[in-house]
Amino acid sequence: MPWYLYLAFKQLFPTGRRFPFFTVISAVSVALGVALLIVVLGVMGGFGYQIREMITDTEGEIQIKAQGSISHYREAVKKIETVPGVAGATPYAAGVLMVQYQNKPAFPQMRGLDLGSINRVVSLDRFVRLGSLDALDDDSVILSGGLADALGVRLGAVVDIYTPLMLSRKDSEVILPRTAKVVGILEIGHQQLDSSTLYCTLRMAQDLYGLNEDVHGINVRVKPGEKEDAVVSRINEILPAEVRAFSWRDSFADFLWVLQLEKNMMMFVLLFVVLVAAFLTMSLLLVLVLKKTREIGVLGALGASRRQIALCFCLQGVGVGVVGTGAGLALGFTVLHFRNDLVRAITHVTGGQELLARFYQFSELPEHLENRDLALIVVAALVLSTLAGIIPAILASRLKPVEALRSE
Amino acid sequence: MSNPILSASGLVKTFRSGDRRIEVLRGVDLEIAPGESISIRGESGSGKSTLLHLLAGLDVPDAGALAWEGVADTGAKRRAAFLGIVFQSFYLIPELDVLQNVLMARRILGAPGAADRARAADLLKRVGLAERMEHLPAQLSGGERQRVAVARALMNSPRLILADEPTGNLDEQTGAAVIELLLGLCRETGTTLVLVTHNAEHAAKCARRLLLHNGRFA
Ligand SMILES: Nc1ncnc2c1ncn2[C@@H]1O[C@H](COP(=O)(O)OP(=O)(O)OP(=O)(O)O)[C@@H](O)[C@H]1O
Ligand SMILES: [Mg+2]
Repeated sequence: MPWYLYLAFKQLFPTGRRFPFFTVISAVSVALGVALLIVVLGVMGGFGYQIREMITDTEGEIQIKAQGSISHYREAVKKIETVPGVAGATPYAAGVLMVQYQNKPAFPQMRGLDLGSINRVVSLDRFVRLGSLDALDDDSVILSGGLADALGVRLGAVVDIYTPLMLSRKDSEVILPRTAKVVGILEIGHQQLDSSTLYCTLRMAQDLYGLNEDVHGINVRVKPGEKEDAVVSRINEILPAEVRAFSWRDSFADFLWVLQLEKNMMMFVLLFVVLVAAFLTMSLLLVLVLKKTREIGVLGALGASRRQIALCFCLQGVGVGVVGTGAGLALGFTVLHFRNDLVRAITHVTGGQELLARFYQFSELPEHLENRDLALIVVAALVLSTLAGIIPAILASRLKPVEALRSE
Repeated sequence: MSNPILSASGLVKTFRSGDRRIEVLRGVDLEIAPGESISIRGESGSGKSTLLHLLAGLDVPDAGALAWEGVADTGAKRRAAFLGIVFQSFYLIPELDVLQNVLMARRILGAPGAADRARAADLLKRVGLAERMEHLPAQLSGGERQRVAVARALMNSPRLILADEPTGNLDEQTGAAVIELLLGLCRETGTTLVLVTHNAEHAAKCARRLLLHNGRFA
């Protein structure tokens, strides 16, 4: 081990001292900066990730839509399923309905599911909280948790469903509401979807919307490991021009863009925290250099070169960076792991758990740290700490041994 | 005098502070034979430390020539093996224990081995600090610290030791003991010694006695 590495290490962790002041203070400041970045970027990344999960869990990675409705959907589904990279496709019908239960009305989003193919695209079963998806038939519905609560509906209750076709009929014929039994309650974990959605069979949805044999769209599941965008363009090649495929990314492009922008801004702002930590390291190292002026002179007198003396102090900056980043990673991931307990503790004191869920659409705080962000944080912290070591190092190496020895 | 350990001729050093010029050395000639012990005395401010720094290659003269064993290179690399220096203040590294402080001189030449460790321990035994090897400098008295510095100066078996008032911070008795130790070890190992001191008694113990006055040897 070269002497400058040895001495740098010994000055960071002196023998017999349990609390090396300089090391602890500067490493803690770097660690706090790193931990803050990890927690904030982790949670912000979590929002994006959660939204992706929610969309793909309920609609697949690719959505196929037309100007109006899609006719001959059976052939379309068959054709799409032959496209390389496609795991499955399922047609759906969607729209707004009015539902009434004991004179209480609600206006949920309807989703008509093709029971024959739905499982190839999304596994809704795992979100069913009460009842079961198997019980769904053309005379029954499944309600989202929020809708069931709002209506006061229990499993087995019978609700009245009013179709919007009632409004468009100009003649005097009265369309009677359709009755359906509630055979399931479903909760996905996303506030917006869970607040008011009604799931029924595709047949019922087609009847309610007067679609006959048409559907509103087709959801596609991509095989694991396939590139979504590549599959999208392959599907578009075989579809007629008026029917188009979009990836979930396209459908939520604006939202994702805002999310990315927010994340980048946060990263930019929080990097200043690490920068401040680096300045603290630098000023502490400068104090150290001044304090050690005469020892630096002695090292020179013993035959140490300027470059080696510079390295000795620069390495201390690197050491602080490594220790601080390591501690920061540990702290950051610990906080991320216990994030929901922390949020619960905070909202327990301040109130507002409900508000939080409504505002952020999620009942739990999500977390997803991309490798790219993690690498950026680590590299930034190490580079800044190293830079923090360079200025004191240059100062130390500029000291002439004679002047260093003369200083009092 | 053949093959001098150190030869200096016409060393001139002038300091400028503002528009005042301080001519400290005005042409110092010095030739040191191997194994010699030399004392340099002179009143305060006469330029003893300045001269020692020049001889050690830590500072450059304005004029004159300096050579170690006939070679003009006085760079850091050569210094580590050729020279041992003892200062008035002990300048030990506070984070390192006594043994590691002595080994530091060796470390600068390259990673020390088991033999070097043994040598450092042996030197510490000879300066009477065998029991204190794992102590930090802060746990030692002034005299003990200066003995560590002496051991450090001897660590690389240098050809020449330059000592600048090594007893300046010590009481009379301790100072005398350190000088005895330094002279004894140099005689034993055949190391050449240049000792700067105010103390006439200490100076008298050296074979050759020089007096720096008005920037020259009187
Ligand atoms: N860097 C410098 N700038 C200006 N003057 C200096 C510098 N270094 C030394 N001097 C001057 O040179 C003269 C000699 O200094 P030096 O330290 O060599 O004296 P000395 O003989 O060692 O004295 P002492 O016995 O007190 O240690 C002093 O007058 C000092 O003020
Ligand atoms: Mg002096």
